[in-house]
Amino acid sequence: MLRESPLKDVVRAGRYGADKGAPGVTLSVVHPLSLVMVIARKGKAKAAKESLTAMRGATVMWAGPDQYYVKGAEAAALKKKLGDAASIIDQSHGRVMFRISGPKSRALLAKGTPVDLHADEFPIGKSAVTQMAHVGAHLTCTGKDDFELSVFRGFSESFWEWLTEQALEFGYQVN
Amino acid sequence: MGSFRLSSGGLIDRCKRLNFTFDGESFQGFAGDSLASALMANGRMLMGRSFKYHRPRGPITAGAAEPNALVELRSGGRKEANTRATMVELHEGLEAKSQNRWPSLGFDVGAINSLASSIFVAGFYYKTFMWPKSFWEKIYEPLIRKAAGLGAASREADPDRYEKSYAHCDLLVIGSGPAGLMAALAAARSGGRVILADEGSELGGSLLFEREEIGGKTGLEWARGVIAELASMTNITLMPRTTIFGWFDGNIFGAVERVADHVAAPTHNEPRQRYWRIIAKKAVLAAGAEERPIVFGGNDVPGVMTASAMRHYANRYGVAAGHNIAVFANNPSGARSLRDLRAHGLNATAVDHPIINVKGGKGVKAAVLAGGHDIPCDAIAVSGGWSPIVNLMCHRGTRPVWNEKLAAFLPPDVGAEFVAAGSANGKMLLSECLTDGAAKGTLKGKPPAVPKCKDEAYAISPLWWVKESKGKAFVDYQNDVTVKDLPLAAREGYNHIELAKRYTTAGMATDQGKLGNINAIAILAEATGKTIPEIGTTTFRPFYTPVSFGAFAGPFTGKHFQPVRKSPLHQWGEEQGAVFVETGLWMRSSWFPRKGEDWLAAATREVKATRNGVGLCDVSTLGKIDVHGKDAGRFLDILYCNTFSTLAVGKARYGLMLREDGIVMDDGTTSRFAEDHFVMTTTTANAAKVMSHMEFVHQALFPELDVTYTSVTEQWAQMAMAGPSARATLNKIVDGAKLDDTNTPYMAAREISILKGLPARLFRISFSGEHAYELAVPADFGNGVARALMQAGKEFGIMPYGIEALSIMRIEKGHVAGGELNGTTTAGDLGLGKMMSTKKDYIGRVMAGREGLVDPKRQVVVGIRPVDKRDRLRAGSHLLTRGQSPSLANDQGYITSVAWSPMLNMWIGLALLSDGRNRKGEVVQVFDGLRNHHMLAEICEPMQFDPENRRLHA
Repeated sequence: MLRESPLKDVVRAGRYGADKGAPGVTLSVVHPLSLVMVIARKGKAKAAKESLTAMRGATVMWAGPDQYYVKGAEAAALKKKLGDAASIIDQSHGRVMFRISGPKSRALLAKGTPVDLHADEFPIGKSAVTQMAHVGAHLTCTGKDDFELSVFRGFSESFWEWLTEQALEFGYQVN
Repeated sequence: MGSFRLSSGGLIDRCKRLNFTFDGESFQGFAGDSLASALMANGRMLMGRSFKYHRPRGPITAGAAEPNALVELRSGGRKEANTRATMVELHEGLEAKSQNRWPSLGFDVGAINSLASSIFVAGFYYKTFMWPKSFWEKIYEPLIRKAAGLGAASREADPDRYEKSYAHCDLLVIGSGPAGLMAALAAARSGGRVILADEGSELGGSLLFEREEIGGKTGLEWARGVIAELASMTNITLMPRTTIFGWFDGNIFGAVERVADHVAAPTHNEPRQRYWRIIAKKAVLAAGAEERPIVFGGNDVPGVMTASAMRHYANRYGVAAGHNIAVFANNPSGARSLRDLRAHGLNATAVDHPIINVKGGKGVKAAVLAGGHDIPCDAIAVSGGWSPIVNLMCHRGTRPVWNEKLAAFLPPDVGAEFVAAGSANGKMLLSECLTDGAAKGTLKGKPPAVPKCKDEAYAISPLWWVKESKGKAFVDYQNDVTVKDLPLAAREGYNHIELAKRYTTAGMATDQGKLGNINAIAILAEATGKTIPEIGTTTFRPFYTPVSFGAFAGPFTGKHFQPVRKSPLHQWGEEQGAVFVETGLWMRSSWFPRKGEDWLAAATREVKATRNGVGLCDVSTLGKIDVHGKDAGRFLDILYCNTFSTLAVGKARYGLMLREDGIVMDDGTTSRFAEDHFVMTTTTANAAKVMSHMEFVHQALFPELDVTYTSVTEQWAQMAMAGPSARATLNKIVDGAKLDDTNTPYMAAREISILKGLPARLFRISFSGEHAYELAVPADFGNGVARALMQAGKEFGIMPYGIEALSIMRIEKGHVAGGELNGTTTAGDLGLGKMMSTKKDYIGRVMAGREGLVDPKRQVVVGIRPVDKRDRLRAGSHLLTRGQSPSLANDQGYITSVAWSPMLNMWIGLALLSDGRNRKGEVVQVFDGLRNHHMLAEICEPMQFDPENRRLHA
């Protein structure tokens, strides 16, 4: 059985909003997503962090004190690797991830989060757990003007509607 | 255009004519005009009527403090009342109307109030409409409300969008006059992240209208040079049309950006306004100073305005307020106006005696001077001095400080995070403003060099009101507070400034006393024999100027008032024709009507089909929490009143969680998948609350435990499969060994594989009382698995059922839910007292033993059914001992849940009844106060259907 995105009938590729030449932001949905929460067990924070840092091919994102989201690694593989150093919780289906890039990505995200996203304060690789449009969000800077953002699956449609409305003034491309 | 437009000068574009209407009449103005300047250019000085006496009024300022020229803009859903014509940018097609007049602005019947003004003094309403008491609500208040008020709100929905945004900076500069520009330049050059905000349509502040010389250029040229430099830098954000309206904790400033208020309608892609929260490491208040009027008779006749406003209209907009202008001032602002107005070829004369009255009604005809002689004139420029605009710095409670020399309140010291500069800081010379701005804006190193400029000396001899005044002399224009009202308030005991404000209304309404307050304070000081600092100011509060509700709401209106949360089985529900119901933020499938069915018919059919065959219900919204760690069992033992550490791997157990005070908090089943791994479920409503409770218990009470807990509610799509054919249906999709009572007994919890390799969690638990399971699959597979189950169950007559049917079945089985777990009940009340472990400690154990919580007369859960089966029970009805009349003293309890039972063919319910367990079989009186309905009902066991639980194990 194929995985079904909750946004499959909602997100449509195309060019939307203001037409000021190149789109201010480009939006897409990361699906199918592989996202696992790793929480260090008591007294094992250092060991867990070291094991994660040594992992190849997966992206490790901070998600709270001694907590991480790992993108691109199977829960079972992580369990094997980390043993009893951490709790491994698969959230691949529980969260929906958006990719937001382009020169106006910060201006767009600032409409939702009080986190300072200036490149000096929120450099590539930094993550924040925040709230946007009344929805809890996990946000990571992945490139110069690139961000990844995940929300609980159930809110994803509502969140998408908010996000795209806020992007209207910049002009946006959905891939 | 009228002869009030000067032949040259101003920052208007005379090639670009704009058409607009005022009270339906068509006019033209130029690009760059404000609505007020355009009306004045057309000879329309009369723009509004005052609040109480309906006096004709024209603009007295050219800016944000305007109390008189309040107009209604646009129409339909875009109508906006009480906007200041002085701040409205003229645009093509602008539609404005005057307010507070009937039938017209020129002839207003309400002006008759003025004739009776001797009785309309301060406190008139309080004294007059006292009795009879009953008249207040029904007669006086509606009448007064009808007579009072300025513009009217639209009743249509606002079609425009509003946005919200956050911003961060090292320095926020508020105001873009000489001090603000210098501060922004200093900060930006030192590399800091700077925001420069100004409420005006264009940056430049006073340099847009004052004739100054800076660095060998005109002030305006200098300002434009600085603005161009700032605009070329990447570390500064320029925000014109942005009003900083409040200063809040954490050095956070609230602001409204008027994105599209200066055009007829925003484009589809832009909002009308944007509400900002600016988080500033440091801020400089460079808001300038407000010129205040002098109080004298007739000082409200259209054509009387502040001296700086008159310069503003002439220099910036090329508009004359009049052609023969009398100038009355106690400071050099008068001389400035004389100079500038004469330079425009206007006839301006300084009065040699104080003005005691003004002749004219809808326009100035002459000024009457002390000593008795008149000066014919058509406009009067007034200056009573300058009040630094300290408002923002006082928003967190600190009061401004009186300065005798400047006769003004200066901003208080509120710390290094927020400082004032320039005339907002009492610097009255241009060179001081530039130097102060440069110093306050410098974030590191030395302040930049300040250009040379020409200063004009400043001195003031205080003059608050002209004592010889004849006629009405206004202190607060907007509220028609006259010079007589304040001493009256003092005589009647309202001599504290805060009391005097409320008694006289001085300083209230849309302008919040920006012009009148200092004069009011001075007059009250004189009346009470105190000094001005002894009287002090009223409290400054946000908002500096009015903020529209649309800006506060932002995008969160209508459908987006709150986020919508959809289950992973939402689409399946839609396919099955579900009617969804909001449960918190969740949308849950409530019932699945077929043609001609109402909710009850649909739910009844769903119950019967489930109890006779098999039903499928979406239970994904129940809270699911993965609990991991060596101490997971111990942690659950602390959280629940019953024990979980002894639960075998592969088993589920019902748990009851108490609050610290011994009252039941939540319930649900928790299953064990490994020694160090449990999956806990909570009710839909309490999921987030339980999670925070766990955080508190772990972090604050038992930090030594090795345990982690994570919400996995959204990771799993969960389906209840209930009914005699549930197992047979599941067996059609299960991989490997088929389910039976050995591998999957009652209360089993297993990780299985379905549909050729999909991982799933299977729980043999039941809320319906049927042989039932809950099947959880990763959410992306939810709709697919539900469809597969519908296919598999076809031969057994599978039926989707919603939470109405779910609720009916749990009431038939006497299972407690939200109605009973209502924050007042103990485990004992729910009939679950035996679950409270005596072998371990847990949250709520001690407090649950309190006298009142173990009182045998407590109201406990019982079943209830009508004596006459045709009677309908209603939730919320109260229970009485038979024969007693309804009263608090006689109350025995109430019905918490009711349902039409398709299996028992009558309305049944659960109730909380005092000493209920000893009253089985008793017939009680049921009283429904809402419908005034009385009936008889019999108390019974909560479990009214299949009391032996045969079906559960069938």
